[in-house]
Order: sequence, then C-alpha cells, then structure tokens
Amino acid sequence: MPLWWKKHEKKMKEIQDKQNRNDQSGMAKCVPDEPLQDKLEDNLQTMKETTGKSSDIVYRFIKAGQNPEVSVAIVYTEGLVDHQTINECLIESLLNNHDWQTQISPQKAFALIERKVVSVGDVKTVNHWGDLFLSLMSGETIILIDGMRKAISLGTKGGDKRSIQEPSTQLSLRGPRDGFTESIRTNTAMVRRRIKNPNLWLDTMKIGKVTQTDVAIMYIKGIANEEIVQEVRKRLNRINIDSILESGYIEQLMEDQTFTPFPTIYHTERPDVVAANLLEGRVAIFVDGTPFVLIAPALFIQFFQAVEDYYARFDIATALRFLRVLIFFISLVAPAVYISATTFHQEMIPTLLVIAIAAQREAVPFPAFVEALIMEVTFEILREAGIRLPRAVGQALSVVGAIVIGQAAIQAGIVSPAMVIIVSITAIASLATPALSIAISARLIRFLLMFLAAGFGFYGVIIGVMIMIIHLCSLRSFGVPYMAPLAPFIPSNSGDTIFRIPTWAFKERPRLISQKNIVRQGKHQRPGPPDKEGIDTNEKGDKNET
Amino acid sequence: MKKVTRMKRKGLLILFLFFSMTTLSGCWSKKELTDIAFVIGVGLDKTEDGKYLVSFQVVSPGNVAGAVQQGGGGGYGLPVTVFKVRGDNLVEASRQGARMVSRQLYFAHTNLLVIGEDLAREGLHEIFDALERNSQFRTTTSVIVAHNARAENILTLLTPLDKIPANKVIKTLETAEHVWGENIDVKVGDIIQDLVSSGKEPVISGFKLIGDAENGKRKEHLETTDPDVRLTADGLAVFRDGKLIGWLIGKDARAATTILKKIKSTVINIDWKGKKESIVYKVTREHTKVKAIIKNGRPEISINIDIEGDIGETKVPVDFSDPNEIMKLQKRLEKEFENEIEHSVNKVQELKSDIFGFGEALHRTAPQLWKKKYQNHWNDTWFPELEVNVQVSAFIRRTGLRYNPYFWDKDQGGD
Repeated sequence: MPLWWKKHEKKMKEIQDKQNRNDQSGMAKCVPDEPLQDKLEDNLQTMKETTGKSSDIVYRFIKAGQNPEVSVAIVYTEGLVDHQTINECLIESLLNNHDWQTQISPQKAFALIERKVVSVGDVKTVNHWGDLFLSLMSGETIILIDGMRKAISLGTKGGDKRSIQEPSTQLSLRGPRDGFTESIRTNTAMVRRRIKNPNLWLDTMKIGKVTQTDVAIMYIKGIANEEIVQEVRKRLNRINIDSILESGYIEQLMEDQTFTPFPTIYHTERPDVVAANLLEGRVAIFVDGTPFVLIAPALFIQFFQAVEDYYARFDIATALRFLRVLIFFISLVAPAVYISATTFHQEMIPTLLVIAIAAQREAVPFPAFVEALIMEVTFEILREAGIRLPRAVGQALSVVGAIVIGQAAIQAGIVSPAMVIIVSITAIASLATPALSIAISARLIRFLLMFLAAGFGFYGVIIGVMIMIIHLCSLRSFGVPYMAPLAPFIPSNSGDTIFRIPTWAFKERPRLISQKNIVRQGKHQRPGPPDKEGIDTNEKGDKNET
Repeated sequence: MKKVTRMKRKGLLILFLFFSMTTLSGCWSKKELTDIAFVIGVGLDKTEDGKYLVSFQVVSPGNVAGAVQQGGGGGYGLPVTVFKVRGDNLVEASRQGARMVSRQLYFAHTNLLVIGEDLAREGLHEIFDALERNSQFRTTTSVIVAHNARAENILTLLTPLDKIPANKVIKTLETAEHVWGENIDVKVGDIIQDLVSSGKEPVISGFKLIGDAENGKRKEHLETTDPDVRLTADGLAVFRDGKLIGWLIGKDARAATTILKKIKSTVINIDWKGKKESIVYKVTREHTKVKAIIKNGRPEISINIDIEGDIGETKVPVDFSDPNEIMKLQKRLEKEFENEIEHSVNKVQELKSDIFGFGEALHRTAPQLWKKKYQNHWNDTWFPELEVNVQVSAFIRRTGLRYNPYFWDKDQGGD
C-alpha cells in the first residue's frame, strides 16, 4: 500500500475517534443518569429542559388530599399512551373523593398512591432520570410527587397501532391469515398464542443508543440449541449503534458473513412460520417497529420452503418443491444459457429453432450479450420503479413497461422476440421464489453469469455455478453449515429438502440446529384404514418431552 | 494486522488476474448468429477436369416461414441460396467458399449430404475423411445419392411444404422409411462403418429429379398446385468397394430394407380369387433374423422373417371371419413375401456386393474360418454362390374396422 494512503488512513482514524468521544459525552448530557431531586418544580424543570419542551409531552398537576394537600404531577407522552387507562385508572381515582384522601400526607403519599390509588397492572418505581425518560418515551406514565426523590411509572402503553392484517409478503392460499404488525408485544403474543408452553422463553433487551429499540429473542427452552441461543445473545449484545429502525439493521450487524449474496438469516412476516421454526430449534429475533421477524440459523434450503408445503399434502408439496428449485435455477441461468448457446454453441440448438432465432436476430444490431443486458436492465428498472411508485401512477407504468419491454423494443429492432421470452421467463421465475431474499441474490448472480457466458460460453457458466456452489458450501449461519442437510449430507433430515416426505415421516428435527431434543413425534404416526384386529395407534412411543 | 493487509493485497492481485483473464482472452471462438451461414445441405459432384464441385445450401433465416417480419421490410425471398465452389479437395472448397459468402460457413447444422451419381460411381472412399475429421460436421448427417442427376441440381431445387429443401429430403426419407419401406435413412457414420467392414457393403437411398432442374431453381415453379419439378425418393444405391454399381428399385429395395431390419411398416399386395393384387396387407410389425451356418464347408444363410399386420383393403369378397380363410391368406402372404425377398437376394448376388451384411453374420458364427477362408474373396466368389433360405411367417392381427367387405352379402355362398 502506498505511503500516502497509510497516512491518510491514520488521519481519518484520529478524526473518527475524536467524533466518537464527542458523541458519547453528548449522549451523557442528553439523559442525565442522576437521581431525581426533592422538589417537584425542580424535577419538572429538568424534564422540560431535557425534552426541549416538546409539545407532545403532557404535564398534569393535581392536588391530592385535603389537609395537607400534596402536589402530584402526571407526565406522559401524547400518542404513546392509552388515554382511557389514564383517565379511568389514574386521574379519576386521584380526583375523586375516597377515604384515602383524608389519610394522605407528604410522607405517605408515595406509598398510598402506588398501592391504593392507581388501578393499573404494571407499576414500577423509578429513581434515576435515565430510567424515567426511558419509561416516558416508551409510553409509560410518570407520577411525580412533591418531596419525593423517586417517581412512579405506570404501564399505560397504548396509542394507535396497525391492526393485524394479512401479510403482504409470503402469501399462501391455505394457512392462517394473520401477519405481524409493527408492535413487538402484539407480535410475541401471536407466537405465544400458537405455542402454549412455558418453555417458550422470551428475552428482551434494548438496542440502539438513541432509539432504545426493544429487541426480543424467542426460543423454546429444551429444543433450541443452547449454544446458538448464547451466540445470538452475544452477537446482539455486541451491537453498539445509535439506531435500530428495522430488523434489517440487526440482520446486517449479526450475520456470519457480509460479503456474500446469500442471506444467512431468514426473515418472515408470518407468525406460523416463526412458530414452526421455533419448534425446529431455531431462534427468533423480534424488533419493535417492524413486522419482519428474524430467524436464525437459516439454511439454504429454507428459502425454498413455503408455508404451504407443510399444509398441503406431501405429493403436491414435493412437486412444488421441485418446481421451486427449478425456478431458482431458471432465474439464475436462463439468460446466461441463452447467450452462450447463441454465441458459442449454436450446434446445441435444434436446427429449426436456431434458424428461427437467427431470423429474429437478423435485424438486431447488438450482440446477444448486449441485447440481453439491455433487456435485463430495462426490466430491473421497471421493477424498481414499480415497487416505489405511488399507486395512482402504477397503471401508467405497467402500460408503458409492457409496451417498452414487449412490442416496441422488438419493432424497433433493438431486441429479438426470443430474448423477450427469455427475460420474461427469468423475471417471472425470480418473482416465483417463495423467499424474496434468495431471489435477489439470484438476481445479482445472474448478471455475473451473463458476463461469464458472454466471455466463455457454457464453460464460463459452469465455472460460475461451480464457484457459487463452493461458496454456498463454505457459508455458515451461526455455526451451522448453510447447505445442511445436503452438504454435509444428513440422511434423516433430507426428507425436507428438494422433496418433502409425508408429515408422519418427519421423525426428527434438524440435527445440526436442535442437537439435544431431536425426536419430533411418536412412533406409528402413519394413518391408514381401520384394521379389524385394531392397531394400537396411541402406542406409548417416545413422546415429546417439551 | 500486517498479515491481513498482505492477504488482502494477495486477494486483490488474484482478483485482478482473474479479471484480466476474462477480459484479455476476449470471447474466444465467439460467433454471433448473424455472422454465421447455416449450411443445411452439402452436395458433392465431380467436374470434367477431375475436381470436386461442392454445393452449399445455405439458409437465409429471415426468409424461412415462421420468422417474424423484421422492421425495414425484408420482403418475401427464397429460403435458401446455393453456393458452388470448385476445389481439389473438400476442405479447400469449403474455405474458398468464403470468397462468395458474406458469413462464415457453419456446418454443425448440416443435415444432408447429396452425392452426385458420377462421383458415386467413381468412389466414395476419399470424401468421408474430411467430413469425419471436421469438428462441426456431424456423422449423423443423412446421405443420399442423386439418381441420374447431379447433386447440385438436387440442392438448387425449391420445394413445397417444407421451405428448406434439405429438410424436405430428410423428412421424405424418414416418412418413406416409416410407411413404405423402400428407403433407408443412412447416416455418414453408418457408411463409414460399412466401408471399413469386410462383410458388409453400404447402401444409400437415391433421390430422383423429375422435370427440368433449371425451372426448379425459381420461385415461380412453386406458385402452382402441381409443381412440374419434383424430388422423389427412388431406390437404393448399391455400392461395392465404395463405388456405385447398381440400383435396387421398388420391391427389390423393400426386400433389401427388410433383410437389413430397417423396415418399419409397409404394404404387401396379393392375388386372390384370380384377381391380381386384390388384397392389401398392411405390415405393422416386422422382425428379421439373419443366421449363417456352415454346411459341408459351404456357408449358408437362413433368413427368418416374422410379419404381423392388418388387412387394409380387399377388392374381392372374402370371409374374414373364417379362420381357415385367414390361414390360407397367411400362407399366401408368406409365399408372396418369400418370393419378393428371394428375388432381391438373387439380384444383389448378381451385383456381387454383400449389402445385407451376410458376411458379418458369418463372421459372428465362425470368426476363425471367416478370417482364414472367406474374408478376402467374399464379394467375388462366396457371396454370389451363397445358398439363402428364406422363411417368412405372416400373421393377420386385425382386419380393420370390419370383418367382411360390404359387398360380401350379395355373393354369399357363391364361392
């Protein structure tokens, strides 16, 4: 490396270090981690100063008791709290005449209010500013009492949330229709509703120095591999970042390998998928503010497993699984194969077909590779525009897109009809993959393979695919080989890979993921017509321990 | 830390090398579809001065039916053009072709090789090496001999239905082999095998040109429902030592394909109740067994043929529901077919060329004796004198959709 670069690097590092230090001191100033003061006015003053007199923070003064009166302040953040709870359970009981009003004194006020007045389930005592603000900002209500160096924090979280709706990704014909929402509590509840078991453990933490986002790890104690749970926890604890706005932040900060086109963590919007994965021994990571839940460790084959595979009968599921693997390969190599066959291996195409293709290409001025590149890039542009387009303009785009990609490009002699077919097939195939994250990696690799095809023909494509497979085999997701159970080959788990065996034959959980508690179902689960002698189907077997 | 940067540098270097490898080698052997001329048929003739005249039938893709109209109006042109080149050998001729053709001649889709009768009579031995040696040319290319014609004339003829003339020839060959059985679709590889075999000589299907070849070149002759220039499959060319020595036509050709086990289905007519060719028998299944034996020091060949089929047509009233009648018919069929086969064998024996592979059959039964005694003089002395026993067993499986013909009732009992 040249010397000037080293110097430059050193300088940049110094600047960065300085900034980091400044940041931290800034943070400390923002949220003083000091105990509360005596006087109510002082406390409120501090709160107003710290929040910059933000208008959405509501301060409500109440004089409680008759003789002597005690000043009480209720502070909450508008929009994050449930008004009904505050009105009915707090303000009403504070203002109304009850027998406690006569007993109140500045000394007893705190205990009285905490124990007798407030009719809310979740009540905490806060001593420090840091905790106080965290509670306030997450939608809890703070009760400050004059003369007390502590405050009461009430769990009044509420406000407007999106209701549970059908997920917009990973749709299925058969299966539950509920999808995760942005609220972490709703999400964890949806999973718990499916797994009614005390061994379903939830471990919550806050990540993001500024955003203080709730992140929860969910796993089934006894099924999940303890080492993987530890590893997940370790990686989450290591994260030191200002903000977590979506689970994608966490995914990128904790994945095993950054420089790979393949996702090593699965994400889903469906609670049934999370439940199924937890039962296989995986760990789910919920992030507040996003409907996408992370699942780790993720295997390659997992991205081809749609939920419906498990709800449909096995023969149909197997056929669809085959189809999906085929689809993945089509979306990966179709343009590359077309390019190499038409520019290097014309002898491989049937005579009449090659003549037909040649006829179409007769007036096309570009080599096949450029032609393919034009079409592929055009399609990517259309797709990218289509995702972010306002609904009202969508119609116009699809009309223009169809004309550009289909009719006009051919008539203008820029591309051949065969190329349009190839691009369309590829596009449809890449949208048919059940997990979009693997379709996107196929999209990237497709362009690479197209370059190789243009340079070397099939030789290049094969080399490219080989490198891809070698790379896939080298990947790990939380220590589990990415290609398992295909490489390393695990016979007892291979029933759920490119084909899916009947449900009664799923005897074991994935071995590499859930190492201890492997047995999934009892013996003799295979159904059949009634037998005269009567088969004892409810034989003891080894039942699930959990 | 230092180690990491060194590794990084190494990685970068490898990446750079890999990148330059892809860019510098520069699309080796890349050829765009618009830069190659698909040679669909090759014709070989001999000129008066002893040189080869090679005709390349090249497809003009834009004019083949099924192709879309391109912007700029390609118009309606001819599906193929033919380039003729003279040369001392095939390779030279094909390279010389570059002077006439704007694109690179591409032989991987050559489906047809036409050999002019003149050249065939002089000998095929030397031409196949170039074809076999070329990496583009396929040994699965079909070969025909132009019967009484020059190969160039066959290739320049425009054909109806199948726009590409070479395809028309191949498809004709295939259908003729399939439903009529007088022709065989012979590939380059088969011929090379037969040329080197001492116990079998090659046969190649012939194609005949009816009408004036000059007229057939023009599109106008297709603008009629009954083109006056036509191309038909016609007979089998018999070779000996790589030279054409005679033709088998009609039933003789069919008998030859039967012995060669190449027949799939055909039609046999028999005389019945004094009326000539009155019952038509459609062969649907055929099995031939050729066996050689040595009797008193002389080789003998026995041919067992099983045929199975349906009644296709009758012109005389026959009671097909009568098993005895059927048996009689079968006997008659056997006799008829035996005669046909024997006639063909005799004719080929006169030509002194073992196209049936009897020598190979003998080789299989007596390998030692074959090498010692028969191999060297097979075609000259042993084959013409060979005793050939033909045994046909015919079986009538069905009589079509009905038993008796509609005119049966009238003549009932009037046998």
